[in-house]
Amino acid sequence: MLNRFFLLLFFIQSLAFAQDIPQKPNPVRFVNDLVGGLLSQGEIDQLEQKLKAYNDSTSTQIAIVIVNSVQPYDISEYAVKLGREWGVGQKDKNNGIVLLWAPSDRKVFIATGYGVEGGLTDAYSKRIIEEVIKPNFKESRYYQGLDEATNRIFKYLAGEFDADPSTTNTGSWEDLLFMVVFFIIVVVFILKPRGGGYNGGTSNTTYTSWGSSSGSSSSDYDSSSSSSDFGGGSFGGGGAGGDY
Amino acid sequence: MNKSTLIIVGILLIFGMYGCSSYNGLVGKDQDVKGKWANVQTQYQRRSDLIPNLVNTVKGAADFEKSTLTAVIQARASATAVNIKADDLTPANIQKFQAAQDQLSGALSRLLVSVEKYPDLKANQNFLELQSQLEGTENRIAVARNDFNTSVQGYNSSALSFPTVIFAKMFGFAEKGFFQASDSAQAAPSVKF
Repeated sequence: MLNRFFLLLFFIQSLAFAQDIPQKPNPVRFVNDLVGGLLSQGEIDQLEQKLKAYNDSTSTQIAIVIVNSVQPYDISEYAVKLGREWGVGQKDKNNGIVLLWAPSDRKVFIATGYGVEGGLTDAYSKRIIEEVIKPNFKESRYYQGLDEATNRIFKYLAGEFDADPSTTNTGSWEDLLFMVVFFIIVVVFILKPRGGGYNGGTSNTTYTSWGSSSGSSSSDYDSSSSSSDFGGGSFGGGGAGGDY
Repeated sequence: MNKSTLIIVGILLIFGMYGCSSYNGLVGKDQDVKGKWANVQTQYQRRSDLIPNLVNTVKGAADFEKSTLTAVIQARASATAVNIKADDLTPANIQKFQAAQDQLSGALSRLLVSVEKYPDLKANQNFLELQSQLEGTENRIAVARNDFNTSVQGYNSSALSFPTVIFAKMFGFAEKGFFQASDSAQAAPSVKF
Protein backbone atom coordinates (compact mmCIF):
# COMPACT_ATOMS: atom_id res chain seq x y z
CA MET A 1 0.00 0.00 0.00
CA LEU A 2 2.82 2.32 0.90
CA ASN A 3 4.38 1.62 -2.45
CA ARG A 4 1.22 2.61 -4.23
CA PHE A 5 1.43 5.88 -2.46
CA PHE A 6 5.00 6.40 -3.61
CA LEU A 7 3.98 5.45 -7.09
CA LEU A 8 1.50 8.25 -7.01
CA LEU A 9 4.11 10.59 -5.63
CA PHE A 10 6.43 9.75 -8.50
CA PHE A 11 3.71 10.37 -10.98
CA ILE A 12 3.03 13.78 -9.50
CA GLN A 13 6.71 14.54 -9.35
CA SER A 14 7.21 13.67 -13.00
CA LEU A 15 4.27 15.86 -13.93
CA ALA A 16 5.73 18.72 -11.99
CA PHE A 17 9.04 18.26 -13.78
CA ALA A 18 7.41 18.32 -17.14
CA GLN A 19 6.02 21.74 -16.39
CA ASP A 20 9.19 23.20 -14.98
CA ILE A 21 11.69 22.32 -17.66
CA PRO A 22 11.47 24.82 -20.52
CA GLN A 23 10.54 23.48 -23.93
CA LYS A 24 13.26 22.65 -26.40
CA PRO A 25 13.70 25.72 -28.60
CA ASN A 26 12.42 25.39 -32.12
CA PRO A 27 14.50 25.90 -34.23
CA VAL A 28 17.23 24.56 -32.00
CA ARG A 29 19.64 27.11 -30.61
CA PHE A 30 22.77 26.48 -28.59
CA VAL A 31 22.50 29.71 -26.62
CA ASN A 32 19.13 30.03 -24.87
CA ASP A 33 18.66 33.18 -22.86
CA LEU A 34 15.26 32.68 -21.28
CA VAL A 35 15.77 35.63 -18.94
CA GLY A 36 16.98 38.38 -21.23
CA GLY A 37 19.01 41.48 -20.59
CA LEU A 38 22.15 39.74 -19.35
CA LEU A 39 23.79 39.35 -22.72
CA SER A 40 23.45 41.64 -25.71
CA GLN A 41 22.06 40.23 -28.94
CA GLY A 42 25.50 40.54 -30.52
CA GLU A 43 27.08 38.54 -27.72
CA ILE A 44 24.43 35.83 -27.99
CA ASP A 45 24.98 35.60 -31.73
CA GLN A 46 28.73 35.37 -31.28
CA LEU A 47 28.42 32.52 -28.78
CA GLU A 48 25.85 30.81 -30.98
CA GLN A 49 28.17 30.96 -33.97
CA LYS A 50 31.02 29.58 -31.92
CA LEU A 51 29.03 26.65 -30.51
CA LYS A 52 27.47 25.87 -33.87
CA ALA A 53 30.91 25.74 -35.48
CA TYR A 54 32.09 23.50 -32.64
CA ASN A 55 29.15 21.17 -33.18
CA ASP A 56 29.84 21.06 -36.90
CA SER A 57 33.50 20.20 -36.44
CA THR A 58 33.35 17.83 -33.46
CA SER A 59 29.67 16.80 -33.16
CA THR A 60 29.91 17.79 -29.50
CA GLN A 61 26.94 19.88 -28.49
CA ILE A 62 27.21 22.53 -25.82
CA ALA A 63 23.96 24.19 -24.80
CA ILE A 64 24.09 27.37 -22.75
CA VAL A 65 20.78 27.80 -20.99
CA ILE A 66 19.88 30.79 -18.83
CA VAL A 67 16.77 30.32 -16.70
CA ASN A 68 15.59 32.70 -14.06
CA SER A 69 15.59 30.16 -11.23
CA VAL A 70 15.81 26.40 -10.77
CA GLN A 71 13.85 26.44 -7.51
CA PRO A 72 12.69 24.21 -5.93
CA TYR A 73 15.10 21.76 -7.56
CA ASP A 74 18.76 21.17 -7.12
CA ILE A 75 20.58 22.80 -10.02
CA SER A 76 22.31 19.54 -10.99
CA GLU A 77 18.98 17.71 -11.06
CA TYR A 78 17.51 20.44 -13.22
CA ALA A 79 20.45 20.44 -15.62
CA VAL A 80 20.34 16.65 -16.08
CA LYS A 81 16.60 16.74 -16.65
CA LEU A 82 16.91 19.54 -19.18
CA GLY A 83 19.80 17.86 -21.00
CA ARG A 84 17.87 14.61 -21.25
CA GLU A 85 14.63 16.21 -22.31
CA TRP A 86 16.24 18.33 -25.00
CA GLY A 87 18.58 15.49 -25.95
CA VAL A 88 21.75 17.56 -26.04
CA GLY A 89 24.60 15.59 -27.66
CA GLN A 90 24.61 12.79 -30.22
CA LYS A 91 22.56 9.74 -29.37
CA ASP A 92 25.34 7.22 -29.94
CA LYS A 93 28.07 9.30 -28.27
CA ASN A 94 26.17 11.09 -25.51
CA ASN A 95 28.55 14.00 -26.00
CA GLY A 96 26.34 16.81 -24.81
CA ILE A 97 27.10 19.50 -22.26
CA VAL A 98 24.60 21.78 -20.59
CA LEU A 99 25.91 24.98 -19.09
CA LEU A 100 23.00 26.05 -16.93
CA TRP A 101 22.91 29.46 -15.32
CA ALA A 102 20.22 30.64 -12.91
CA PRO A 103 20.83 34.35 -12.28
CA SER A 104 18.33 34.82 -9.47
CA ASP A 105 19.82 31.86 -7.59
CA ARG A 106 23.32 33.06 -8.53
CA LYS A 107 24.17 29.48 -9.47
CA VAL A 108 25.94 27.95 -12.43
CA PHE A 109 26.23 24.28 -13.31
CA ILE A 110 28.06 22.39 -16.02
CA ALA A 111 26.33 19.06 -16.69
CA THR A 112 28.25 16.55 -18.75
CA GLY A 113 26.74 13.77 -20.87
CA TYR A 114 27.81 10.17 -20.32
CA GLY A 115 30.30 10.32 -23.18
CA VAL A 116 31.98 13.55 -22.09
CA GLU A 117 32.64 12.51 -18.50
CA GLY A 118 36.02 11.03 -19.39
CA GLY A 119 37.43 14.18 -21.01
CA LEU A 120 35.66 16.83 -19.01
CA THR A 121 35.81 15.27 -15.57
CA ASP A 122 33.92 16.67 -12.60
CA ALA A 123 37.16 18.13 -11.30
CA TYR A 124 37.75 19.99 -14.58
CA SER A 125 34.19 21.27 -14.59
CA LYS A 126 34.74 22.49 -11.07
CA ARG A 127 37.92 24.26 -12.15
CA ILE A 128 36.09 26.02 -14.94
CA ILE A 129 33.46 27.17 -12.48
CA GLU A 130 36.02 28.30 -9.90
CA GLU A 131 38.63 29.84 -12.16
CA VAL A 132 36.62 31.25 -15.04
CA ILE A 133 32.93 31.63 -14.29
CA LYS A 134 33.05 32.84 -10.71
CA PRO A 135 35.60 35.68 -11.08
CA ASN A 136 33.92 36.97 -14.24
CA PHE A 137 30.35 36.65 -13.03
CA LYS A 138 31.16 38.40 -9.76
CA GLU A 139 32.22 41.42 -11.82
CA SER A 140 29.13 41.03 -14.06
CA ARG A 141 31.34 40.17 -17.04
CA TYR A 142 28.88 37.51 -18.17
CA TYR A 143 29.89 37.25 -21.80
CA GLN A 144 33.58 36.94 -20.96
CA GLY A 145 32.79 34.26 -18.39
CA LEU A 146 30.76 32.16 -20.81
CA ASP A 147 33.17 32.75 -23.68
CA GLU A 148 36.22 31.67 -21.68
CA ALA A 149 34.34 28.78 -20.10
CA THR A 150 33.48 27.36 -23.52
CA ASN A 151 37.12 27.82 -24.57
CA ARG A 152 38.22 25.79 -21.58
CA ILE A 153 35.69 23.07 -22.38
CA PHE A 154 37.07 22.95 -25.95
CA LYS A 155 40.55 22.60 -24.51
CA TYR A 156 39.66 19.72 -22.20
CA LEU A 157 37.76 17.89 -24.89
CA ALA A 158 40.35 18.45 -27.63
CA GLY A 159 40.66 15.27 -29.69
CA GLU A 160 37.89 13.41 -27.88
CA PHE A 161 35.30 13.45 -30.64
CA ASP A 162 35.25 13.70 -34.41
CA ALA A 163 32.59 15.22 -36.52
CA ASP A 164 29.76 12.99 -37.61
CA PRO A 165 29.90 12.24 -41.31
CA SER A 166 26.26 13.22 -41.55
CA THR A 167 26.68 16.56 -39.86
CA THR A 168 29.85 17.56 -41.73
CA ASN A 169 27.93 17.30 -44.94
CA THR A 170 26.60 20.82 -44.61
CA GLY A 171 28.68 22.43 -47.38
CA SER A 172 25.99 24.19 -49.35
CA TRP A 173 27.17 23.29 -52.88
CA GLU A 174 27.47 19.61 -51.93
CA ASP A 175 23.92 19.60 -50.70
CA LEU A 176 22.79 21.38 -53.81
CA LEU A 177 24.52 18.84 -56.03
CA PHE A 178 22.95 16.01 -54.06
CA MET A 179 19.54 17.59 -54.37
CA VAL A 180 19.91 18.05 -58.12
CA VAL A 181 21.00 14.44 -58.64
CA PHE A 182 18.21 13.21 -56.38
CA PHE A 183 15.68 15.32 -58.21
CA ILE A 184 16.81 13.96 -61.55
CA ILE A 185 16.50 10.39 -60.28
CA VAL A 186 13.03 11.05 -58.93
CA VAL A 187 11.92 12.69 -62.18
CA VAL A 188 13.35 9.83 -64.24
CA PHE A 189 11.53 7.26 -62.13
CA ILE A 190 8.26 9.11 -62.16
CA LEU A 191 8.35 9.66 -65.91
CA LYS A 192 9.36 6.10 -66.77
CA PRO A 193 6.11 4.25 -65.99
CA ARG A 194 4.10 7.00 -67.60
CA GLY A 195 6.06 6.62 -70.85
CA GLY A 196 5.90 2.82 -70.75
CA GLY A 197 2.26 2.81 -69.82
CA TYR A 198 2.36 -0.53 -68.02
CA ASN A 199 0.94 -1.41 -64.63
CA GLY A 200 -1.70 1.25 -64.63
CA GLY A 201 -3.14 0.25 -61.26
CA THR A 202 0.04 -0.07 -59.23
CA SER A 203 1.89 2.83 -60.80
CA ASN A 204 -0.55 5.14 -59.12
CA THR A 205 0.51 3.96 -55.68
CA THR A 206 4.16 4.16 -56.68
CA TYR A 207 3.73 7.82 -57.54
CA THR A 208 2.44 8.64 -54.12
CA SER A 209 5.08 6.63 -52.33
CA TRP A 210 7.78 8.33 -54.36
CA GLY A 211 6.18 11.63 -53.83
CA SER A 212 6.12 11.22 -50.10
CA SER A 213 9.65 9.89 -49.91
CA SER A 214 11.04 12.82 -51.85
CA GLY A 215 8.98 15.10 -49.63
CA SER A 216 10.42 13.68 -46.42
CA SER A 217 13.98 13.78 -47.71
CA SER A 218 13.64 17.42 -48.65
CA SER A 219 12.49 18.21 -45.12
CA ASP A 220 15.55 16.33 -43.82
CA TYR A 221 17.60 18.57 -46.02
CA ASP A 222 15.94 21.66 -44.58
CA SER A 223 16.56 20.69 -40.98
CA SER A 224 20.20 19.82 -41.54
CA SER A 225 21.02 23.02 -43.36
CA SER A 226 19.07 25.61 -41.41
CA SER A 227 19.99 24.45 -37.91
CA SER A 228 21.60 21.38 -36.42
CA ASP A 229 19.21 19.58 -34.12
CA PHE A 230 20.10 18.14 -30.74
CA GLY A 231 20.95 14.50 -31.24
CA GLY A 232 19.25 12.81 -28.28
CA GLY A 233 22.22 12.39 -25.94
CA SER A 234 21.74 11.37 -22.34
CA PHE A 235 23.08 12.51 -18.99
CA GLY A 236 23.89 10.66 -15.80
CA GLY A 237 24.55 13.40 -13.29
CA GLY A 238 28.18 14.21 -14.08
CA GLY A 239 29.56 17.72 -13.87
CA ALA A 240 30.01 20.39 -11.26
CA GLY A 241 28.55 23.69 -10.23
CA GLY A 242 28.81 26.52 -7.77
CA ASP A 243 27.46 29.81 -6.53
CA TYR A 244 28.99 33.10 -7.59
CA MET B 1 -14.55 -34.07 -29.45
CA ASN B 2 -17.72 -32.42 -28.25
CA LYS B 3 -18.53 -28.77 -28.00
CA SER B 4 -17.64 -28.22 -24.35
CA THR B 5 -14.10 -29.64 -24.73
CA LEU B 6 -13.58 -27.35 -27.71
CA ILE B 7 -14.61 -24.37 -25.61
CA ILE B 8 -12.32 -25.41 -22.79
CA VAL B 9 -9.41 -25.89 -25.19
CA GLY B 10 -10.15 -22.50 -26.71
CA ILE B 11 -10.19 -20.79 -23.32
CA LEU B 12 -6.96 -22.53 -22.33
CA LEU B 13 -5.36 -21.43 -25.58
CA ILE B 14 -6.34 -17.80 -25.07
CA PHE B 15 -5.24 -18.00 -21.47
CA GLY B 16 -1.90 -19.48 -22.55
CA MET B 17 -1.31 -16.86 -25.22
CA TYR B 18 -2.14 -14.08 -22.85
CA GLY B 19 0.09 -15.66 -20.25
CA CYS B 20 2.97 -15.79 -22.72
CA SER B 21 2.68 -12.14 -23.67
CA SER B 22 2.42 -10.95 -20.07
CA TYR B 23 5.33 -13.22 -19.13
CA ASN B 24 7.46 -11.69 -21.88
CA GLY B 25 6.41 -8.21 -20.86
CA LEU B 26 7.38 -8.90 -17.27
CA VAL B 27 10.73 -10.37 -18.32
CA GLY B 28 11.54 -7.23 -20.30
CA LYS B 29 10.63 -4.95 -17.42
CA ASP B 30 12.47 -7.14 -14.97
CA GLN B 31 15.62 -6.91 -17.09
CA ASP B 32 15.27 -3.15 -17.28
CA VAL B 33 15.05 -2.92 -13.49
CA LYS B 34 18.13 -5.13 -13.16
CA GLY B 35 20.06 -2.92 -15.55
CA LYS B 36 19.11 0.19 -13.61
CA TRP B 37 20.04 -1.53 -10.38
CA ALA B 38 23.49 -2.33 -11.78
CA ASN B 39 23.95 1.36 -12.46
CA VAL B 40 22.87 2.27 -8.93
CA GLN B 41 25.43 -0.17 -7.56
CA THR B 42 28.15 1.16 -9.85
CA GLN B 43 27.62 4.68 -8.61
CA TYR B 44 27.62 3.65 -4.97
CA GLN B 45 30.74 1.61 -5.63
CA ARG B 46 32.34 4.67 -7.17
CA ARG B 47 31.65 6.64 -4.03
CA SER B 48 33.00 3.83 -1.91
CA ASP B 49 36.18 3.81 -4.00
CA LEU B 50 36.71 7.53 -3.51
CA ILE B 51 36.55 7.34 0.26
CA PRO B 52 40.00 5.81 1.03
CA ASN B 53 41.60 8.57 -1.05
CA LEU B 54 39.57 11.19 0.72
CA VAL B 55 40.42 9.81 4.14
CA ASN B 56 44.12 9.69 3.32
CA THR B 57 44.16 13.21 1.96
CA VAL B 58 42.34 14.55 4.99
CA LYS B 59 44.60 12.63 7.34
CA GLY B 60 47.76 13.76 5.59
CA ALA B 61 46.91 17.43 5.24
CA ALA B 62 45.80 18.27 8.74
CA ASP B 63 45.72 16.92 12.25
CA PHE B 64 42.16 15.93 11.70
CA GLU B 65 39.74 14.84 14.40
CA LYS B 66 39.90 11.06 14.61
CA SER B 67 36.28 10.33 15.50
CA THR B 68 34.89 11.82 12.29
CA LEU B 69 37.30 9.82 10.18
CA THR B 70 36.62 6.52 11.92
CA ALA B 71 32.89 7.13 11.57
CA VAL B 72 33.33 7.42 7.80
CA ILE B 73 35.54 4.34 7.61
CA GLN B 74 33.12 2.27 9.65
CA ALA B 75 30.08 3.46 7.73
CA ARG B 76 31.86 2.57 4.51
CA ALA B 77 32.64 -0.90 5.77
CA SER B 78 29.07 -1.58 6.80
CA ALA B 79 27.70 -0.09 3.58
CA THR B 80 29.86 -2.34 1.40
CA ALA B 81 28.82 -5.32 3.52
CA VAL B 82 25.21 -4.87 2.42
CA ASN B 83 25.14 -6.31 -1.04
CA ILE B 84 21.81 -6.93 -2.72
CA LYS B 85 21.63 -9.28 -5.69
CA ALA B 86 19.66 -8.09 -8.70
CA ASP B 87 17.35 -11.09 -8.30
CA ASP B 88 16.40 -10.10 -4.83
CA LEU B 89 15.21 -6.51 -4.99
CA THR B 90 12.43 -6.84 -2.45
CA PRO B 91 11.20 -3.71 -0.67
CA ALA B 92 12.82 -4.92 2.57
CA ASN B 93 16.20 -5.46 0.89
CA ILE B 94 16.16 -2.09 -0.81
CA GLN B 95 15.35 -0.48 2.51
CA LYS B 96 18.29 -2.26 4.13
CA PHE B 97 20.62 -1.21 1.35
CA GLN B 98 19.42 2.36 1.51
CA ALA B 99 19.76 2.54 5.27
CA ALA B 100 23.40 1.44 5.07
CA GLN B 101 24.24 3.86 2.27
CA ASP B 102 22.41 6.73 3.94
CA GLN B 103 24.45 6.18 7.05
CA LEU B 104 27.59 6.57 4.96
CA SER B 105 26.14 9.72 3.37
CA GLY B 106 25.58 11.15 6.82
CA ALA B 107 29.10 10.34 8.00
CA LEU B 108 30.57 11.84 4.81
CA SER B 109 28.60 15.03 5.15
CA ARG B 110 29.78 15.42 8.73
CA LEU B 111 33.34 14.97 7.50
CA LEU B 112 32.91 17.63 4.82
CA VAL B 113 31.37 20.01 7.33
CA SER B 114 34.23 19.64 9.78
CA VAL B 115 36.70 20.33 6.97
CA GLU B 116 35.49 23.92 7.17
CA LYS B 117 37.56 24.26 10.31
CA TYR B 118 40.79 23.46 8.49
CA PRO B 119 41.76 26.24 6.10
CA ASP B 120 44.89 24.36 4.94
CA LEU B 121 42.76 21.49 3.79
CA LYS B 122 40.27 23.72 2.01
CA ALA B 123 43.13 25.16 -0.04
CA ASN B 124 44.58 21.72 -0.81
CA GLN B 125 44.27 21.09 -4.54
CA ASN B 126 44.09 17.34 -4.08
CA PHE B 127 41.28 17.67 -1.59
CA LEU B 128 39.34 20.04 -3.82
CA GLU B 129 39.51 17.61 -6.74
CA LEU B 130 38.34 14.77 -4.54
CA GLN B 131 35.56 16.91 -3.22
CA SER B 132 34.32 17.74 -6.70
CA GLN B 133 34.49 14.07 -7.66
CA LEU B 134 32.51 13.18 -4.58
CA GLU B 135 29.91 15.81 -5.40
CA GLY B 136 29.64 14.51 -8.95
CA THR B 137 29.22 11.00 -7.62
CA GLU B 138 26.45 12.07 -5.28
CA ASN B 139 24.70 13.64 -8.27
CA ARG B 140 25.16 10.46 -10.28
CA ILE B 141 23.77 8.41 -7.41
CA ALA B 142 20.72 10.66 -7.33
CA VAL B 143 20.18 10.23 -11.07
CA ALA B 144 20.74 6.45 -10.94
CA ARG B 145 18.32 6.09 -8.05
CA ASN B 146 15.72 8.15 -9.84
CA ASP B 147 16.07 6.04 -12.98
CA PHE B 148 15.84 2.89 -10.91
CA ASN B 149 12.68 4.09 -9.23
CA THR B 150 11.09 4.95 -12.56
CA SER B 151 11.94 1.49 -13.85
CA VAL B 152 10.57 -0.22 -10.74
CA GLN B 153 7.43 1.85 -11.07
CA GLY B 154 6.86 0.45 -14.57
CA TYR B 155 7.59 -3.09 -13.41
CA ASN B 156 5.43 -2.95 -10.29
CA SER B 157 2.47 -1.41 -12.02
CA SER B 158 2.51 -4.35 -14.45
CA ALA B 159 3.24 -7.03 -11.90
CA LEU B 160 0.61 -5.84 -9.43
CA SER B 161 -2.26 -4.92 -11.69
CA PHE B 162 -4.99 -7.30 -12.81
CA PRO B 163 -4.90 -9.57 -14.78
CA THR B 164 -1.10 -9.65 -15.18
CA VAL B 165 -0.83 -10.19 -11.45
CA ILE B 166 -2.10 -13.78 -11.92
CA PHE B 167 0.80 -14.64 -14.20
CA ALA B 168 3.25 -12.63 -12.12
CA LYS B 169 2.31 -14.74 -9.10
CA MET B 170 2.44 -17.89 -11.20
CA PHE B 171 5.93 -17.23 -12.56
CA GLY B 172 7.27 -15.70 -9.37
CA PHE B 173 7.63 -12.04 -10.36
CA ALA B 174 7.60 -10.42 -6.96
CA GLU B 175 7.05 -6.78 -6.14
CA LYS B 176 10.27 -4.74 -6.10
CA GLY B 177 11.32 -2.00 -3.72
CA PHE B 178 11.82 1.72 -4.22
CA PHE B 179 14.36 4.10 -2.90
CA GLN B 180 12.59 6.47 -0.63
CA ALA B 181 13.57 9.99 0.23
CA SER B 182 14.55 9.97 3.87
CA ASP B 183 15.71 12.57 6.34
CA SER B 184 19.26 11.32 6.26
CA ALA B 185 19.27 11.37 2.46
CA GLN B 186 18.57 15.08 2.67
CA ALA B 187 21.81 15.39 4.59
CA ALA B 188 23.91 13.90 1.77
CA PRO B 189 27.15 15.83 1.30
CA SER B 190 26.14 19.20 0.03
CA VAL B 191 29.12 21.42 -0.34
CA LYS B 192 28.77 25.16 -0.17
CA PHE B 193 31.22 27.60 -1.69
